[in-house]
Formats: sequence, structure tokens, C-alpha cells
Amino acid sequence: MLLLQLLLQGLQTGALYALTAAGFALIFGATRIFHFAHGTAFTLAGYVFLFGFTGGLPWWAAALCGIAVATLFGIAMERLVYRPIQRHEGSFFTVFVAAFGVAVVVQNLIGMLAGRGFASVDTELSRASEVLPEVFLAPVFWIAIGVAVALFAALSAFLTRHPAGVALRALAQNPDLIRTYGLSSNRLSVLAFALGSALAAPAAILTAMTSGLNEAIGHHAMLISIAATIVGGVGSLRGAALAGLMLGVAESLALAVVDTQWAEGVSFFVLFAFIIFRPSGIFGVVQTR
Amino acid sequence: MIAYLMNLATIVAIFGILAATLNFIIGFAGIFSVAHAVFFGLGAYAGAQVALLLVPDALLACLVGAAIAGGLSLCLALPALRVRGEYFVAASLGLQMMAATLFAEVKPLTGGIGGLVGIPRPTLLGVQIGVLPVAVAALALILFLTARLQRGAFGRTLQSIRDAESAAEALGKNVAAAKTLAVAFACAGAGIAGALFALHLSFVNVESFTMDQSVLVMAMVIIGGTGTLWGPIIGAVILLSLPAGLAFLPFIPATEVGAVQQIIYGLAMTLLMIFRPAGLVGDLSKGRSTA
Amino acid sequence: MFGPLIARRALLGTALAAPFIRPSFAQGSDPYVIGTLFPMSGPNAEYGKLFTDGVQLAIDHMRAENLLRRPVRVQSEDSQALPQQAVIGMTKLINVDRASWVLTGFTSVSKAVAPVADRARTITVNGGAVGPDLERLSPYFWNVIPLAHLETRAIFPFLIRRDLKRVALIYVDDPFGDAILQLMQREFPAAGGTVAGVFSIPRAQQNFGAVAARVRQARPDAVYIASFGAQQPQIIKGLRDNGVRQPLISYSGINIGSVLSLPEAEGLIFTSQKFDFSAGDALTRRFAADFRARHGADPAIYNTNYYNGTRLFALLAAELERENKPVNGDTLRETLLRIREFDLVGGKASFDEHGSMTAAIQINEIRGGRMTPIAG
Repeated sequence: MLLLQLLLQGLQTGALYALTAAGFALIFGATRIFHFAHGTAFTLAGYVFLFGFTGGLPWWAAALCGIAVATLFGIAMERLVYRPIQRHEGSFFTVFVAAFGVAVVVQNLIGMLAGRGFASVDTELSRASEVLPEVFLAPVFWIAIGVAVALFAALSAFLTRHPAGVALRALAQNPDLIRTYGLSSNRLSVLAFALGSALAAPAAILTAMTSGLNEAIGHHAMLISIAATIVGGVGSLRGAALAGLMLGVAESLALAVVDTQWAEGVSFFVLFAFIIFRPSGIFGVVQTR
Repeated sequence: MIAYLMNLATIVAIFGILAATLNFIIGFAGIFSVAHAVFFGLGAYAGAQVALLLVPDALLACLVGAAIAGGLSLCLALPALRVRGEYFVAASLGLQMMAATLFAEVKPLTGGIGGLVGIPRPTLLGVQIGVLPVAVAALALILFLTARLQRGAFGRTLQSIRDAESAAEALGKNVAAAKTLAVAFACAGAGIAGALFALHLSFVNVESFTMDQSVLVMAMVIIGGTGTLWGPIIGAVILLSLPAGLAFLPFIPATEVGAVQQIIYGLAMTLLMIFRPAGLVGDLSKGRSTA
Repeated sequence: MFGPLIARRALLGTALAAPFIRPSFAQGSDPYVIGTLFPMSGPNAEYGKLFTDGVQLAIDHMRAENLLRRPVRVQSEDSQALPQQAVIGMTKLINVDRASWVLTGFTSVSKAVAPVADRARTITVNGGAVGPDLERLSPYFWNVIPLAHLETRAIFPFLIRRDLKRVALIYVDDPFGDAILQLMQREFPAAGGTVAGVFSIPRAQQNFGAVAARVRQARPDAVYIASFGAQQPQIIKGLRDNGVRQPLISYSGINIGSVLSLPEAEGLIFTSQKFDFSAGDALTRRFAADFRARHGADPAIYNTNYYNGTRLFALLAAELERENKPVNGDTLRETLLRIREFDLVGGKASFDEHGSMTAAIQINEIRGGRMTPIAG
């Protein structure tokens, strides 16, 4: 029963990882920007939700505020940080350092304004009950799975049906193509940042209800996103989501055998092995760079 | 006061070595490693164990640190041979996170979070010495070697790999050997810095070798100017002293000093990248910088 | 994880500021410098605030009383509760600020700075960490808090009496957690209990669902939590949310606001040194009243310990001033060993030959978000 319990818990964690990672993968695929501050959008969304909710807003309004702030943060990063750097052909490493600086700033601002340390939303939704003998599930499990499935359905509909979505996918494969056909890749890049950052918000909100937030939580979200994007195959949203889910499950199942402190090392060992032996990831196309 | 200034100079020299060696693979070979602290750590643990178990000889500690870090640099060279760009960054990230786990868990060798305490003071040929002269000598040696390598045939090979890998290969350059050698040189340098760091602080633990440290060293290189000889050193001095002035601003409440320091620090990192992306030194020597 | 570690560069940097500072020599009307080496940023910053509040109140009181001839200045360095930053901050406090007295906390930090304190003969006082091996680190390293072996041992008979004989231990993977683990495995069976399972967690762990599943499988009567800082409320919530219904047990480190205000922490049992703020001597009453007036809340144990840690310096230095002796590590130590017993908040406190304070332990329960003593 322990294994079943760990599997289910892994699915819940994995669903949240999948959402965050898909956001990162969307941005990276469409803009080739290694958005190191993706975790910051996650942190911001979580804290805005937390303050909205504890401040008396209904849950949906607080959640909308969280999503809005994450989206605005993504757009601001694109406009104010990444675009000026790319205008003078900054190497991707320059971008990485700039984004890291932003992550440090926001983390400390949150620490100063919201207080340092643990913060969580108190809700009945995270309280588990015994569904099978020895297997405990909280309502938030079903919410996490449901939200992830719904958002992925919506996202894939958007990417395949809506012209802007199709353009985003095209951008991921070949930016020159878009320019030739006259679509502004600038506006698409803003769209990618808005969508990608918004995708991190639901995971952050659910995390605020379950394991709680702290001002440094964005780093974990970001590392997992990078790992999932690479393992899943750069350019493949489906790959990133699946890899995120797998990382969550693997991290949880590993605990049946080893102590918790090895879980992270195991995740990154998987990442390292993938890069050496299958750099294109699960779904990716082999790229010569 | 003198002791204190020497302490500072030693820390600057040690981070200067780290920044200079990282700059060597980033600036001259285009290998963007986020795992430099791993080799710093390997050198530090090796040096600390030599001092604890054998003799606290600075030279021996440095040599062992360099040998172990340089030997294990294959872990970094392997992905560098297979992938480039973001993939390599992610691979080095994976290496960094794995190494941090190992450093924290292989307690017989590293002491875990508790670290290795009471490392004896260094000696050279039986005479007790400070770390500073050794660190400065090592830094000078590494800068000298970097300058020589950069101008020589090996440097040109590396730069051609950085600018156009397939072209370099087509011209008959042995890309694999050149990359492996460059990585080994840089990592051995980081190992020396690590051994000196262990001897200097008389204490090492995993927290000095996390990804955060790697990013700090990387930022020194980028802010100073990649691919320049002095840029990384200047970057090290600036990044080490930038928050220092802030610590003495009286209007910051004591409880917020740490946070304010970091905010200004992070802001400076971002703004520099937006407005002077070639780094501080890179601008002065046009055409040399790659950022 | 590297999130909390970002400020290392800040601290390395602080070290570079030396040229801007005039070296001060402890003479005439130069202030005594009390250095504080607390986590002021990062996940343990909550403690830094608690510690600093206690120090600040003690300084204000000693100024109001004109206890010392020379003024006192507090110099704060951010340790982030991490050893390396602490060593660098400690070096600065000793060499630049010429601190006469350094206050610190956290087991790993204390173990890292103790050799530095020893070399410089600077009295360093811990009021927060409880790792049992802090007792004999150095003649110049003292504790104004009863260490964990005193606390943890005191709860063993209580657990047996309550028929909580199978205890699972969740411990943080660092020197403090290791110390509790060893103590538990060595002494709990001797007291008549069984260690039903031990589960180590890294310091940056956030999600405890899976650990909870393993704890449930171990079928303990109670769960002992040995962690500190922001992680504690997360462990409690993670266990309670995931079907661990057994009583939770812990030590004085759990007595922080973010735990007390957590609904899931209701009923948690923990040890602490004995305090009675309502009755007692004038010093204790003034401390409690002024603290409430200033912060609008009852003082926590840590506020008290660091108040005492600061107060102890004032008492020793006042004694030395009276005798016209210089105030330094050796004279402070001599005076401590000569007097041994001091009037501190919470009553008379006595120190043993290692400079560790001994105190009676009480057992508390969290009831309605407040610490309530239930057994002495």
C-alpha cells in the first residue's frame, strides 16, 4: 500500500511540476530564452493568492489575481529585461545572469514584505481522508489532476486551432519562417511569456494550499522546469509535461527505497544521463547546434 | 587590522583564481559551465583531507586538489563534447545538483552539512605560512598560463571551436582533445582554489560548493567581461565589495541588511546585463569580448 | 537547493569593507561591541528577528540602568544559519569590529565559529542551538540555553508515562539532527521505549506527503520532530494533512510564531527551559512587561535567552569595571567561573565549568495557539 500511496502522491506533485514545466517549455520553445526567472513568476503567483485569500477575497478572485500578477511579471520580463539584452545580441548566458539577478531581487522583496519563512493557506482541501485502507487522499489531489488535465486540453486546443497558437508552434520550429510571413514575432514572444508564466500560477496556488510557500520556493520550481524541459525534449510541450509528471512520481516512489535527501540528486542524475545519452529528450527532435 | 586585510586579500585571490579559470572555458572555449563550484569543492575536500590526515603542506594540498579536480573534470568534459548551449548549461546544472547531494551525504569524506572542522594551519616545507602568498602566486601562475595559452596555438584552436565548432573540425583541429584539455586545466585551477580555501578558512562544508557559488563565480566572469584576461579579476573584486559598502548605510534596519544587500546586488547584476552586456572590461577592449 | 544560500556573496563582500573602517581599540569611552551572528535573511530569518529583539531590549535596559561606564554598540552580521557565512561574519566581528562578546545560534554555525572564537579568545555565547556537542567546544564558547540532551532526556519518562512507547523520529540531516538521532537511538530504548523508525530529511525539503506515508507505515505511538526554522510548520502540516494522527513531540526550537499560529500544531508537546513570566523577580517582570509593551506579544523563549545572553555580558563587564580590570575573553571567563550564579530573566541561572547554563526543563503543550506548560 505504501507504493500506491507514494505513486498517488507523486502524481499530485507531478501534475504541478508538469504545469510549471510546460510554461517554461512554452517560453523556451517559442523564444529560445532560458527564462531563469520562471520560478519567480511561480513565487509571485503563490504569494498574491495567499494575500488575496487571507485578506478576505473569495478564492477564485484571489486565484485570478495570482494568475494576473504572474502573467504581468512574464510580460515585464520580456519587455524590460530580455528584449533590451537581445537587441544588442546578448549571449544567452548574459540573459541567464540578468534573469538570475531578477530572481534574487524578487525573492528578497518578498522576504521583506511578506515575512520570511513558511506561509500557507489554511483550507480543508488539503486534509486527506482514507479512501482505501492505508491510502490517504486529499481533495486537492483531484483538483491538481483536474486542473492539469483541463489546462493541457485548453492549451493544446489553442496551439492547434488558434492562429496565434499555431504561430507560436511555428516560432518554436523556425523563427525566420514567421518573419517571412509577416507575423510579428515580437508580439508572439510577449504572448509566449504571458501564457507560459500564467501556466505556473495554478501550480503555485495549489502549492500554497498543500506544502506551503517560502520566499525561496521559486528556485525549486525553476530547476524542475529546466530538468523537465530537457528530459522531455526542447520544443515539445507534451514532452516537458510528461517529464514533469515523471519527475514528480520518481521523486515520490524513490522514497520507498532511499531517504528523502537523495530525491533531488536522483532527479538531476536522470537529467544528466539524458543529456549525455539522449540529448534530444523523449519527444525532441535531434538538433544540431 | 593587517590580519584582517590579509584575510580579505586571500579571499579575493581565491575567487580570482575561480573566476579566471571559469573565464578560460567560458570566454575562450564557449563552455558555459554552471558547475565550477563542484571542482572548487573537490579541491577543497581533497586539500582538507590531505591537511587533516597527512601534513598541512600547502603545496601538497594544492597538487592533490588540482589532481582530483582535474581528473574528475571528465564529468564535465563528457557533456561538453556531446552538446552545446542551453543543453550544456542544463547538464552542468545536473552535475552541480548531483555533486551537492553527494557532498552533503558522503559524510566519511566530506562531513556532510557539518563539514570538516579544525583543518590545521598550512605549512610550506615544514614552515608555517599564510595562505595569501600561495594564493597570489597561484593566481599569477594561472593568469600567466591563461595569457600564454590564449596567444598560442592551443588558444587559437579553442577560439575557433567557440566561434564555429564544425568549421574547426573541418580544418582538422582535434576538437575533442582541445575541449577536454581546456576543461581539465580550468577544473584543476578550481581545485587549487578549493584547497587554498579549505586551508584558509580551516573549515569547509557543502554550502560553499552549491550552485549558488557557481552562479556567483559565473557572474564575476560575465560582469567583468568574458574572454578578457583581467575582466574576471575585476568582476571578482567588484562583486565581493559591492554589498560591502551597503553594509554601512545607517538607514537600513539591522534586520533587513541582508535582504537589502541582496536586492541591490541582484539589481546591479540585471542592470549591468541590460546596459553593459559585454561586461565592464569587455567594453574597453573592443572586439575581444564575446558576451 | 540553493535558494537560501544566495547571500554568501553578500557576506564575502562585507569582509571587503575593512579599509573603510577605523580599527577601534577597547579603551576610554570607546563602546563595547556586542556582535550578533544571526540569520537575518533566508529561511531561518524568523529566528534572527526573535534573537535580535531580545538583545535590543537587554541593551536598552542596561543603558537605562547605567550598568556600564562605557557605551555599548551592537554590530549585526548575517549568518543565514549557514556555517560558512558565519565563519566569515565571525572573522569580521573579531578583526574589524573588535567585538568583546559575540552572540550566536544554530548547531552547525556554533560548531564552525567556535574554533575562530577559541583562537581569538573572544567569548561567544549561544542562546538558540541545542546540539549536545556544543558543551565543550571551547573554554570561550558558552551556552545560555539548556542543551538538547537535557531537553530530550527530560521527555523520555513523560512519553513512557503517557504510554507513547513507540516513537518515530523525523530529523533534519545536519549536525543537530544527527545529535538527536544518536541520543534517541542510544537512550530511548534504555528508558523503556522503542524507536519505531527514523526518517532523515534535507534542510530544504518542502513536501512531506511521502515522508508521512512512511511514518504511517512505521505505526508509531508518537512522532518526534527534530528540525528548525521554516521547515517545522511544513512538517507538521504535511504530517497532519496526510493522515498522521499520532501526537507530535518536539523540543524548544518549535516554539516560534509560525508554528504556534498553525491550526495543525494544536496539541503538539514540546520541552523547554522553565519560565514563569507572571510571577518571579523584578527583572523577569520588567522584561515581560516591556517586551509586551514593545511587541504586543508575550516574549518567546528565544527572546529571553538572548536577553539573558546580553545581560550576562553587562553583569560580567560591570564587575570587571568595578575592579578596574580590562574586559576581554580571559577576564570575562574568570569572572564567570568565579561568580557562577547570576540574576537573569527566569530567576537565578547557574553555569557549569564549561560555561553551559543549567536549567530546569518543563513540558509544554500548544493549546489554542499558545504555549501551555503541562508538566514540570
